[in-house]
Amino acid sequence: MRDHVQDNIIDQFHGLEWLDKYGLLISFARELEPLDEKFRTEEYSISGCQSRVWIRTYTEGGRLVIDLDSEAMITKGIIYLLMKVVNNRSAQEIVDIDLYFIEEIGLKSNLSPARADGLASIIRRIREVAEKEVN
Amino acid sequence: MIDLKNDFPILSKKIYGKRLVYLDNAATSHKPSSVIDTISDFYRSDYSNIHRGVHYLSEISSDKYENARKKVSKFIGTSDPSEITFTAGTTDSINQVACSLKSILKGNEVLISGMEHHSNIVPWQLAGAKIKTIPMDDECNLLVDSIEITDKIKLIAISHASNVLGSVNPIKEITEIAKENDIPVLVDAAQSIQHLPLDVEEIGCDFLAASGHKMYAATGIGILYTSERFSDIMPARGGGGMIDKVTLESTTYLSPPLRYEAGTPNIAGAISVGAAIDYMQDIGLDKIRRHEHKVYSHARKRLLETDGLKVYGNNEDMCGSISFNLDNIHHYDTGLILDKMGIAVRTGHHCAQPLMGSLGTEGTVRASFALYNTKEDVDMLMEGIEKVRMMYS
Repeated sequence: MRDHVQDNIIDQFHGLEWLDKYGLLISFARELEPLDEKFRTEEYSISGCQSRVWIRTYTEGGRLVIDLDSEAMITKGIIYLLMKVVNNRSAQEIVDIDLYFIEEIGLKSNLSPARADGLASIIRRIREVAEKEVN
Repeated sequence: MIDLKNDFPILSKKIYGKRLVYLDNAATSHKPSSVIDTISDFYRSDYSNIHRGVHYLSEISSDKYENARKKVSKFIGTSDPSEITFTAGTTDSINQVACSLKSILKGNEVLISGMEHHSNIVPWQLAGAKIKTIPMDDECNLLVDSIEITDKIKLIAISHASNVLGSVNPIKEITEIAKENDIPVLVDAAQSIQHLPLDVEEIGCDFLAASGHKMYAATGIGILYTSERFSDIMPARGGGGMIDKVTLESTTYLSPPLRYEAGTPNIAGAISVGAAIDYMQDIGLDKIRRHEHKVYSHARKRLLETDGLKVYGNNEDMCGSISFNLDNIHHYDTGLILDKMGIAVRTGHHCAQPLMGSLGTEGTVRASFALYNTKEDVDMLMEGIEKVRMMYS
């Protein structure tokens, strides 16, 4: 099912050259609130990413909140988009969500487990957390 | 300056609509048409299994395979081809040595440098040895005078050239120390065989490991030189093609090199190594080295004169790789943006995590060069770096 948050992202990336797409991701990365230093540790890190990525999750008012951060700006830009799409939803909605925007903005190849950015690992971890919450 | 790009079909490829600037040669190099044609012709007209058949094709294939072994032996300075084993690559070569020497290494120590690739660390650990390192100065140069030899050290295993920094290690000085103490030396030549003259007899090492795919040959083929004094070590693998006589009680083995080549080897791969050596020799090794030196020096100079960019390592003698980071820009971001400009570099820890620890970084951007790179490629890289910086300003 399509949702307006993802559709909005797709519109923003529509027709952009690769370097402009990266430029946009970098500008998103700058808007992302950094994760508190105490969560930027091994315990909260997601393995399989060439740049370190940290995840902190908690529930608030029945919603699962996923906070992510990375030391690389392009990864951080992608993370910003992921957070925009998955947050403000119930855990069940996160389990069920089809993250179609990734393919449509041209980042499909980044989903391969062999890719160094570890986007596949990040998404897997988000789903695991959500599934745990549902069960 | 020579420009050999036309010999390499893949280099005319456009990446994201841009000319490919391939600077990831320390990971693997591309193949000239002559090597590709040799592999293809071999399968088309000569292919068969080797050393076993009495038939025509088997004899031709065996001759070509053994001829490749002779070319390798000459190329690295040994007069005896039986000292050359074909393996699957540098990693496989080192693992085979570790396995063969396991009984000696277990509970003892292997002395390495602090800049080794994981493939020159992990096999020794798997063999049950402890790792000791030769001290380095601030610029990652080995302090050979500080080597402390103990009875526990049963092997020195050292890279000829660093896959991260490009520093060339003083292997001759190290083998001299080893000889005085009767310790065998393994040289990891994965990053030097394609750039520097190699002469195992002059170096005085007992083992030398290298990969075909980094020297313009196929993937899945490697070289292991074993000196005569280790010619009777136990093979790491058993199977067909390496035995003299098998009974259910015991087995005797063939003499080297066949003793170390159990099973059907990578025949086409080995022949491709011979073709790659022919290719380099036809151009002229001195000519290649002079050209590579000019391109490498140009890259180093341009990177060093760039503000806000840190170049790692500094040695009198360098080749192949240069590692750097842009201030406040993650190496991964730099690599991604360069990629979209058609510039292929490697980013990350380059399978050398202990060295990253010494450099105080999680990873670097690595540009690594081959004989087909030109000063223009370096200038494209520098333009790319400027673009990365602009995107972050």
